[in-house]
Amino acid sequence: MDATVEMNMEKGFNGENCAPNIQERLQKRNQARIEDAERKKETKQSQSVAEEKGEYFSNAFNTERACIDELLSNCSGADRAVVTQKLEEATAKTLQLQKFLSDSILFLTPYELSKAQAALQKLQSSIAETREEAMPKKKFAFRGRTKASDKVSAKASAAAPRDSAVTKVDGAPNPKQCGFTNMSNELLTKTAEEVLNQDMLLTHLTNCKVRLYGTPSTLHLKHIDNCEILCGPVSTSVFVDHCSNSTLVFPCQQLRTHHTTNTQVYLHVTSRAIIEDCHGVSFAPFSWSYPTLHEDFAVSGLNRDTNNWSQVDDFNWLAAGTPSPNWSVLREEDRKTFL
Amino acid sequence: MGLRTILKKMKQKEREMRLLMLGLDNAGKTTILKKFNGEDITTISPTLGFNIKTLEHKGFKLNIWDVGGQKSLRSYWRNYFESTDGLVWVVDSADRLRLEDCRQELSALLLEERLAGATLLVFANKQDLPGALSKEAIKDALALDEIKSHHWCIIDCSAVTGEHLLAGVDWLLDDIAARIFTSD
Ligand SMILES: Nc1nc2c(ncn2[C@@H]2O[C@H](COP(=O)(O)OP(=O)(O)O)[C@@H](O)[C@H]2O)c(=O)[nH]1
Ligand SMILES: [Mg+2]
Repeated sequence: MDATVEMNMEKGFNGENCAPNIQERLQKRNQARIEDAERKKETKQSQSVAEEKGEYFSNAFNTERACIDELLSNCSGADRAVVTQKLEEATAKTLQLQKFLSDSILFLTPYELSKAQAALQKLQSSIAETREEAMPKKKFAFRGRTKASDKVSAKASAAAPRDSAVTKVDGAPNPKQCGFTNMSNELLTKTAEEVLNQDMLLTHLTNCKVRLYGTPSTLHLKHIDNCEILCGPVSTSVFVDHCSNSTLVFPCQQLRTHHTTNTQVYLHVTSRAIIEDCHGVSFAPFSWSYPTLHEDFAVSGLNRDTNNWSQVDDFNWLAAGTPSPNWSVLREEDRKTFL
Repeated sequence: MGLRTILKKMKQKEREMRLLMLGLDNAGKTTILKKFNGEDITTISPTLGFNIKTLEHKGFKLNIWDVGGQKSLRSYWRNYFESTDGLVWVVDSADRLRLEDCRQELSALLLEERLAGATLLVFANKQDLPGALSKEAIKDALALDEIKSHHWCIIDCSAVTGEHLLAGVDWLLDDIAARIFTSD
């Protein structure tokens, strides 16, 4: 994110031809732009609570940072005991500051976040430098690393004999994994006994209707197009990747959606749903009922009373205040129920 | 008493370690951390950013950093490398479709200069799933035998049942302690 900012600046300031009158005009334009930005910033700040929080954050963050910087600058020339104590204090404060950043992350923009992280990184290296100066580390080098490492690897491999049956695992079908792959224009179902506590995998399905009755442990969907997939309560996470033009209906503990477009999700999620690299994904509350659903909820351990279907985090849209354009709530009149 | 001995004593007194948990998203990092700490694991949301946990174990003070594994967050990983004593790499053993991605991310990580001193623990997680690959298969898929730059070990575990979590963390702490607290 830093890189993007730098690049824009470069285009604006250095990338232009520098004939004097053009430069003057550019300067004026730039000045106007800055003033305009300032004005916009001011009005926005007075309106938006989120930005006030951001403001509060940067004030608190910078004060604390200055305080740590001062601790470190007091170290030069001081005697050992003092340095040790100040370094300890600086380290503790930096850790607290990191915690503060972690707690504030939800309402920071990516830019503020990366700026704060860069500042923290700088603090950490100043601490390391000061420590290095006061108590050089070189003398404390470890020896015999390579030998030790060989020993460890040898021990680890000796402890459990090689399973020669599985060498090339990536992409190879797994007889123990339950699911459907490479199908089109089919109605596919599985019974409660078949899916119970399984890790289900559905891949390369086109134009299919899928009904999974019962409670798998986890569900992965990959390369799905134009399908309708209904599943009973999934006790842990559902992972969706490369899905398009489809309807997904299930309860789960977490939902993680990647590279998905034009898809409707009828969801019961007890923690959170996230999307990444998605657009045109709409959400509605879970609306499938089948005879043993009630028991299946109990088997899955999911809380039926907690459903955060409309609280979706978009990893490509961490800006506070403005909602992500990549997902929406499905309008009530457009929602379906499934039988 | 030489400088080296003084330093050793100081470190020993602190007995503090910094552990960094990384891996693809959905591998079970946050669940491992919470399970290890005896917290409820049913309410865990996907990690937006990172979590820090400080806990005591075997007389050590552990600062554990759990950083989100989504693609858009991976470029932030390096902000957490500084002074890492142990790297915990968590793998979803049933997610064979992303093992290659997993291998690439790990091998890139091991080239990082700032992680050069760290011990590596690989957790082959989700062993409770019927389709989970064995730790041997994960070891091959991630080409762990080729790692010569770090002390490493792979442990099969389940964050849901808690199986082998302790064994993994104990190995990691012993290795780090032998390296930084008792080396001469
Ligand atoms: N079956 C099973 N599920 C697990 C295990 N560990 C984590 N999970 C589930 O995997 C999903 C992702 O876990 P989380 O800790 O959030 O992953 P992270 O992205 O690596 O932090 C959650 O739904 C967890 O309940 C495990 O050992 N077995
Ligand atoms: Mg997490």
